[in-house]
Amino acid sequence: MQRSQLPPSRAAPIFPPIMSRTLAPRRYGTVNWIGLWTLYRKEVRRFWTVATQTVLAPMVTTLLFLAVFVLALGRGANAVGGVSYMEFLAPGLIMMAMTQNAFANTSSSLLIAKIQGNIVDLLMPPLSPVETTLALALGGLTRGVVVGVATAAAIWVFVPLTVAEPFFLVFHAVMASLMLAQIGVLAGIACDKFDHLAGITNFVVTPLAFLSGTFYSTERLPEIAQVLAHLNPFFYMIDGFRYGMIGHADGSLLLGIVTLTGVNAALLLINYRGFKTGWRLKA
Amino acid sequence: MTRIGRVRRFGAVNWLGLRTLAWRESSRGLKDYNYQVLGPVISSLLYLAIFHLAMTSIGWSGERSLLDFIAPGLIIFVACEKAFENACGSFIFDKHERVIADLLMAPLSALERVMGYLSGASLAGIVVGGAVAIVSLLFARLGLHDLGALLFFGLMGTILHALIGILVGIWAERWDSFSAVHTFLLLPLSFLSGLFYRVENLPELGQAIIRFNPVFYVIDGFRYGMTGEAVAPLLTGALVLSLVNLTLFALAWHWFRRGYRLKP
Repeated sequence: MQRSQLPPSRAAPIFPPIMSRTLAPRRYGTVNWIGLWTLYRKEVRRFWTVATQTVLAPMVTTLLFLAVFVLALGRGANAVGGVSYMEFLAPGLIMMAMTQNAFANTSSSLLIAKIQGNIVDLLMPPLSPVETTLALALGGLTRGVVVGVATAAAIWVFVPLTVAEPFFLVFHAVMASLMLAQIGVLAGIACDKFDHLAGITNFVVTPLAFLSGTFYSTERLPEIAQVLAHLNPFFYMIDGFRYGMIGHADGSLLLGIVTLTGVNAALLLINYRGFKTGWRLKA
Repeated sequence: MTRIGRVRRFGAVNWLGLRTLAWRESSRGLKDYNYQVLGPVISSLLYLAIFHLAMTSIGWSGERSLLDFIAPGLIIFVACEKAFENACGSFIFDKHERVIADLLMAPLSALERVMGYLSGASLAGIVVGGAVAIVSLLFARLGLHDLGALLFFGLMGTILHALIGILVGIWAERWDSFSAVHTFLLLPLSFLSGLFYRVENLPELGQAIIRFNPVFYVIDGFRYGMTGEAVAPLLTGALVLSLVNLTLFALAWHWFRRGYRLKP
C-alpha cells in the first residue's frame, strides 16, 4: 500500500548505482582474507559450540590417564630425565590430548560434510586450495592449542608444571597440532565412511601417539625399540615439547625441528594437491 | 492362506523372537569385525605395551607381575565397554534412522525385549573380551583360579554395562549423550576402579570411596577368577552386583512396558 503511494521515479530504480559496480568479477588480491577468516571461524565455532565434548572430555580423559599411571607405577618409579615420573608424564599427556583433538577436528569436519553432502559449501566458495587447506588446518590447530591449555591447567592442580624453554614449548605445540590437523585433513579427504576414519584413528594415529614416548623415556629401552621410536615423527613432537617443559630431551632437537617442519610442508603440499585435483571430493 | 485369520501362539515365551533379537543385536556389533573386534583388541594391546615399556624405562622396582595384574582387568573392561556400546548404540541408531518401530511392532513382550537386548550386548562383549584375552597372552601370563567366579563376575559386569547401555539408549536422543555418559561416567568408573593399579596404592579415603563403585567389584571378582587375589570379599561383590543389576533390569523393563521415550 505504501509503496504505491511513492512517486514512480523513486519506486522503481531497476539498477541501483551500487549494482552496476558489482557486475564485474570480484577481486580479492592475492589472498581471499575474508574467505579464509570465515572458514577458519566456522571451524572454530564448530567445536566451540560443543565444548563439553571437544574440550572438557579430553581434559577428563587426560586426568584419568594421569591418575591411573601415577597410581600404578608411581610407587616403583625412579626419576626419569631428572624429574619425577609424574612431571615426566604430564607434558606427554598434554601433547597427546592436543594432537588427538587437532586430528579429530579436521577429519570429522571434512567427513561429516562429505556424508551429509554439504561439502559443496566448501568447494564452491572462491577459496584457493591453499586457502581451504590452511583454514581447515588452522581450525584444527586452534582446537589442539585450546585443549592443550585446558588440559595443562587441569594437570597443574596436581603436578607442578614448569617452563624451561618457552620457544620449544610453543614451537612444538604449534607444529604438532598443525601436523595432526593436516593429517586429519588428508584422512577426511581420503575417507568415505566413518568406519574408514575409525580405522585410521585406531590403527594408525593412536598407536603412533601411544608408542611415541608419551608414557616412557626411550633412553632405557632396548636398542631396537629406540631405533623404531626415533623413526616415528610423533616421537619428536613429544620429545621437543617435553624439553620445553622440563629441559630434558631423549633425541636430537634439531632433527626434531627439521622433521616437524618437513612433514608439515609435505602434508601441505599433499593436501593442496588433494583440493586442487578434487581427489575423492569432486565428481 | 487358510491359517492367515488365526492368531499365532507363542507359548509363555516367544523363544524364536527372543533368539532373533539377541542374534541381531550381537551380530550387528560384531559383523564389521575389522573395526568392531580388532579395534578394541589393538587398543588393549597398546595399553599392555605402554605399561610394559613404561616399566622398562622407569627402571621399575616394584613387583614383576604388574602386567599379569592388569591383563584380567583389561579383558573385563573391554568386554564391558563393548556391551555398553552395543546396547546404547543400537537404540540411538535405530531412533535416529526411525527403524525403532521394527522393534516395537514385533510380537515381543517388554521382558523379552529387555532380555533380547541384554543377551545380545553381553554376548558381543564376551566375544570381544575373549579376543582380548587371547592376544594379551603375548604380554601377560593368564591363569585360571576359579572358573565359577570368572564366569559369574564376567557375566555380571557385561550385564551391568549392557543394562546401563539400554537405559541410556532409551533415554538419549542424540549421539552426544552417548559419548557424554561414556566419557564422564563409565570411563571414570572403570579407570578408577582398580583396573590398572592396586587399590592399596590409593589413599585411605579413596579406598573407602571405591567400595561404592560397582565396577570395582566386577574387576575385583573377575581378577579373582584368574589370579586368586581379591581385595573385597567376593560375597559382598556378588550381592552388590546382583542388587544393582536387578534394579537396573526392573527399571529397563518398566520403561519398555510404558514405552518411555520410545512410543509417542
